[in-house]
Amino acid sequence: MTAMASSAFVYVTYIRSNPETVWQALTTPEFQRRYWFGMHQECDFRKGSPWKLVFEDGRVADDGEVLESDPPKRLVLRWRNRMRPELTDEGDARCEMTLADEGGATKLTITHSIALEHSKLIEAVSGGWPKILSSLKSLIETGEPMDSIYSRAKA
Amino acid sequence: MSQFVYVTYIYATPQRVWDAITKPEFAHRYWMHTNVSDWTPGSRWEHRHGDGSGKVLIDGEVLESDPPSRLVMSWARPDRSKEPSRVTFDIADFSPGLVCLTVTHDRLEADPAMASSVAGGWPKVLSNLKSFLETGACENIWLTRNKEG
Repeated sequence: MTAMASSAFVYVTYIRSNPETVWQALTTPEFQRRYWFGMHQECDFRKGSPWKLVFEDGRVADDGEVLESDPPKRLVLRWRNRMRPELTDEGDARCEMTLADEGGATKLTITHSIALEHSKLIEAVSGGWPKILSSLKSLIETGEPMDSIYSRAKA
Repeated sequence: MSQFVYVTYIYATPQRVWDAITKPEFAHRYWMHTNVSDWTPGSRWEHRHGDGSGKVLIDGEVLESDPPSRLVMSWARPDRSKEPSRVTFDIADFSPGLVCLTVTHDRLEADPAMASSVAGGWPKVLSNLKSFLETGACENIWLTRNKEG
């Protein structure tokens, strides 16, 4: 019996909106800047296209490729950190986002995984996703993103 | 899975989050069910069905209570057919006006069915809690589906 060594972070949130709106928020730079710590993504979100997560000052935080794209239901990214050498050295991770209409809300599931035990990348994103997704949920439901998460993270 | 952890950030004060969890008049609006206790360590608590029947779905003991920042309780099947698990609510001031709520449900080794059930349930309850406190929205987003199911 040999399970493949891996690390994964799974997070589910229910957002009171339709999958089309949540998809747009996930894939549109103007939207992303408002809830993703001021960062945005450069990508056309078509299968095979390059993908980048970019800081306000233009530095690339992570990059990769669109492995699957089925708007507004499913997006899979190859994801490699470019900021911290010890995370870059871990190689490619996979980030899967699924959106399902659950009667009045969209069930958004993020599964971020890598074929490596005790991954530092997965540890890092485990702290980030709840902030990003809490801010996304607030932004869509109330029109207000969580600026105080952002300012504290920058400080 | 022996432990489930969920972190969410909510625009609210710790006291409002504490009240939403511990006061039946709030909990029934977003949780469907209510939590009833005097919330002092050693007291019994009950998770009661919100349909008015008062049916006890889960019960247990308040293990720690430090309002409004920390609540720990055992989480047991009323028939005690399995070893109880444990739920911890940590309610922290993250930045002005913003709470970081961490729910840790552990000691689930002896009850895989419960582990699976709570892993599906907590994201719904806590998403609803966040919406309820931030927008006042309280229609239950999964009640309809469960009724259909």
